[in-house]
Formats: sequence, structure tokens, C-alpha cells
Amino acid sequence: MKFKLLIAAAALVAIAGTASAQIKPEEAIKWRQSGYGFMAWNMARIKMNVEGAAYNKEEVVKAANAIQAIANSGMGALYLPGTDTGTGWEKTRAKPELWTNKETLGKVATAFNKEANEMAKVAAAGDAAAAKDQFGKLAATCKGCHDEFKIKQ
Amino acid sequence: MDHRDYRLWDLPTRLFHWFLALAIVAASVSGQLGGGLMTLHGRIGLAVVGLLAFRLAWGLVGSTYARFGQFFPTPARIRAYLRGEWQGTGHNPLGALSVFCLLGVLIAQAATGLFANDDIAFTGPLYDLAGKARSNGLTAIHHLLSKLVYVLVALHLAAVAFYAFARKQNLVRPMLTGRKAGTGEPARGGGAVALAVALAVAAVAVHGARGGWMPPPPPPPPAASTPDF
Repeated sequence: MKFKLLIAAAALVAIAGTASAQIKPEEAIKWRQSGYGFMAWNMARIKMNVEGAAYNKEEVVKAANAIQAIANSGMGALYLPGTDTGTGWEKTRAKPELWTNKETLGKVATAFNKEANEMAKVAAAGDAAAAKDQFGKLAATCKGCHDEFKIKQ
Repeated sequence: MDHRDYRLWDLPTRLFHWFLALAIVAASVSGQLGGGLMTLHGRIGLAVVGLLAFRLAWGLVGSTYARFGQFFPTPARIRAYLRGEWQGTGHNPLGALSVFCLLGVLIAQAATGLFANDDIAFTGPLYDLAGKARSNGLTAIHHLLSKLVYVLVALHLAAVAFYAFARKQNLVRPMLTGRKAGTGEPARGGGAVALAVALAVAAVAVHGARGGWMPPPPPPPPAASTPDF
């Protein structure tokens, strides 16, 4: 009997342990917003280089690698159930459809990953014209998701 | 058959019309597709600013039927037109209403676009004057107005079709050739000086829309100054 109690207690502690290791909703919203904010800086860096007079390969490589890293970070884990409402750094602008329309979500997420990986590859090659072209394709995949799943203000 | 016709729309008015039509199509397509086309979208927007500023000036100094005063749709004129009593040349009062609506909405559309951002990598040339929060609000208006532009353009085309089939009046040909069949007072004025004035107004508008009077941005940091941490 004592032994059973012990097991039950251990199980409870284990459950409590996993529960505390779980992300809080407002943290999840903050982190995903931070991810997009950081990507915005890196998108602006690439844009400055592909549209400006001088092309700095190193800068574009750094920026493209950062975007690629975020794209492959498994950020989808931050879209916890119930976090279609809530406030991180600001009120979330994720549409509820993001949690229900898995098929479209998969499509836009895959497209973004593919173009982000390609952007890093193109940046490493160092051709300004190709980088500009790829930058446009990458930005289009951002829009692809925003149009479906981001609330317009 | 009577081949008499008279000068209705001057060349600058016609060029304005067709360039604007082209620009609206191009702006809609590039804005909807986004991505790498946003740079082009921004340039088209500046062209539209120039076209609209030109038309506003031309509405004051252009030739007879291009002038706003000539076709301003007063309620009395609209009532007379709806009763079938309107006897005039140029824009009829309902058409004039459509002209002013289109101009007004497009001015608002171009103006909000100058302050807009797309949450990705594009910002309008006057974005810095608004800041992110206000820019987001203006961007939302920009998106809403785009729907209104579609509605007004659809109405415009429907009206042209209505006059062509129901009233047997070809409105497209005068907008191409500048001449309308029949007899009427030919358009006068809108000479070289007026054209130069209107073009100057357009140039000033585009300069301002591009941020020509904004304080210059701080010089970019020297190349490769990003630290490696």
C-alpha cells in the first residue's frame, strides 16, 4: 500500500515537473513575436543590400543564415492551443484558422522553409542579382502566411 | 451620314486616363502578389501620385471639358439628369460624380500607401513620418480602400457598357480620339503654359511623396561593421 502511494506521489511529481517545464502562453506569444521581429531586421538588411548601391556579401550571408535558423527552429511549437488570443509583447495577431486549417498551414510553412533555405544558399554563393530575386521569393512566402493567418489591423 | 464631330477630351486628359487605368491594374496585381514586386508597387504608387496631382491641376487650368467647374455634379444637375432634362456636353452629372469619387478614393489610396508597410520588408517612402503603429492603421485603410477601388472601377466599366448597349453611345472612342460625333462647343484652352504648370505641380507632388523634403536619413554605418558576435 505504501509502495503504491509512493508510485502515485512520484507520478504526480513527474506530471508537475513536465507541467512546469511547459511554456506559458504569454511566453510563447512573446517568443514567436520576437522571432518575427528579429527576422524583420534581417529582411531589412538583405533588402538594403540587394536594392542599395553596394552589395555586401558578408552582411547578406549573416542575415540569410539568421532567417534560415529561425525558419528551421521548429517555431510552430510556440503556437500552443489557446494562444490565438493573448498578449505577448503586443496582442497576438494570429488568426484562429491557424489552429484549424492544418493543410494550408503546412503548405505556407513548407514554402517559407524552402525559400529561407534557398536564400541562405544563394547568399553564400554571393551573386547580388540572384540574391535580389530570391529575396523577392522569400518575401512572397511571408505574405503567403500573413494573408492566411495574420490579422490585418 | 453626318461625319461632323468636335473636340471633347484634350490629349493630356486622355493620356492621364489611360496611364491611370494602366497604373491601377499594375498596382493591384503587384500589391496582391507582393514579394519582390513590392518595390515596383511603390514606384507605381509614386506614378499615381504624379498622375493625380496632374489631374487636379488640369481640372483648373485644362481645356473646357477637363475643368472641374464645367462638370461639378451639383444636386440640381444630378436631379435634372435623372429626370432626363440635362442638356450638356462632356461629363454628365452622374459620370462627374463617378469622376470625383474615383479621384477622391485614389488620392486617399495613394496617400495611405506612402505611409504603409507590409509587415515584411516594404515601407512606403513616408513611413518614417508615421511610425509603425500609425503606419499599421494607414495600411489597414490602404487594404480596405483597394476593395473600394475595385468596386468603383467595376461601376465605371459597367456604366461604359450600359451607355454602349442601352443608350447606343460610344464613350470609349472619344476617350481614344478626343473627338465626339455630332455638334457641340469644341473644347478650348489647356495650352502649352497650362500643361507646363500642371506638369510642374505633378513633379512637386512626386518629389514630396518620395520624401524629398524629409530630413536625410543618418549615413549608413561603414560596410562590414557588424561585429561577429
